[in-house]
Amino acid sequence: MTYQISRTITRILTGAVLLTVYLFQVYNRYQAGILSMDKIQSLAQLMLLFLGIGIVVTIAVEIVFHILFSIGVAMKETIKKEGDCDDKEIGRTIKQEMVEDEMAKLIDLKSLKIGYAISSIGFVSSLISLALGHPVFITVNILFVSLFIAGILEGFARIYYYKRGI
Amino acid sequence: MGETIEITNCIRKLRFFADEMTQQQLAEKAGISRQTIVAIEGGKYNPSLELAFRIAHAFNVPIGEVFQYRMIEKKKNGSKKGETP
Repeated sequence: MTYQISRTITRILTGAVLLTVYLFQVYNRYQAGILSMDKIQSLAQLMLLFLGIGIVVTIAVEIVFHILFSIGVAMKETIKKEGDCDDKEIGRTIKQEMVEDEMAKLIDLKSLKIGYAISSIGFVSSLISLALGHPVFITVNILFVSLFIAGILEGFARIYYYKRGI
Repeated sequence: MGETIEITNCIRKLRFFADEMTQQQLAEKAGISRQTIVAIEGGKYNPSLELAFRIAHAFNVPIGEVFQYRMIEKKKNGSKKGETP
């Protein structure tokens, strides 16, 4: 598996885990009475908390991923050359694996477009729910969850483009 | 009816004649990732003109020896008729 695809899968998994934990938290707090349809302030605090957690977790996962990926490449190189390769050569291979070229940039743009479209659909859906008279609690949640889903589907689009080509 | 362009390449053949150059080595020479070389070789991605020149430069051959094109006439029923320049 290449660097770009592994990185995208890691991001998708991180996003999926964060989304699941968020939904669990909302459900549990709602059941416990901490959150209710009219307690928007508590929901906003929870969302802000999750945004903060999301940023920290994403950065931590990226760092761990890069460390593990580098170790993996180094091990592969060592096995391939039967232990006869120096650190400089391994460093060069790792750098080469992580290079971001024009194809990667084009795929980035295309998948971002898909992510943007999905978050726009989420925004319109939240407005529709508001127009239909649903509580703001539901509207804000649709908006927040659609952002997570957009991120996840953007990742899937990226993998699709890497596998199928553009 | 309309015309589309189909771009093909001889990267695999050129790699073979360049001492069985690996995709990794070509990627390093062209300054791109191996995945992009795989995609170009498999016809899944058409590189920019700059990258096409860089690949040709890596093999030390003119660009026409690496990439070729042919015009394909699209008929209404979806069938294609090729025309090589």
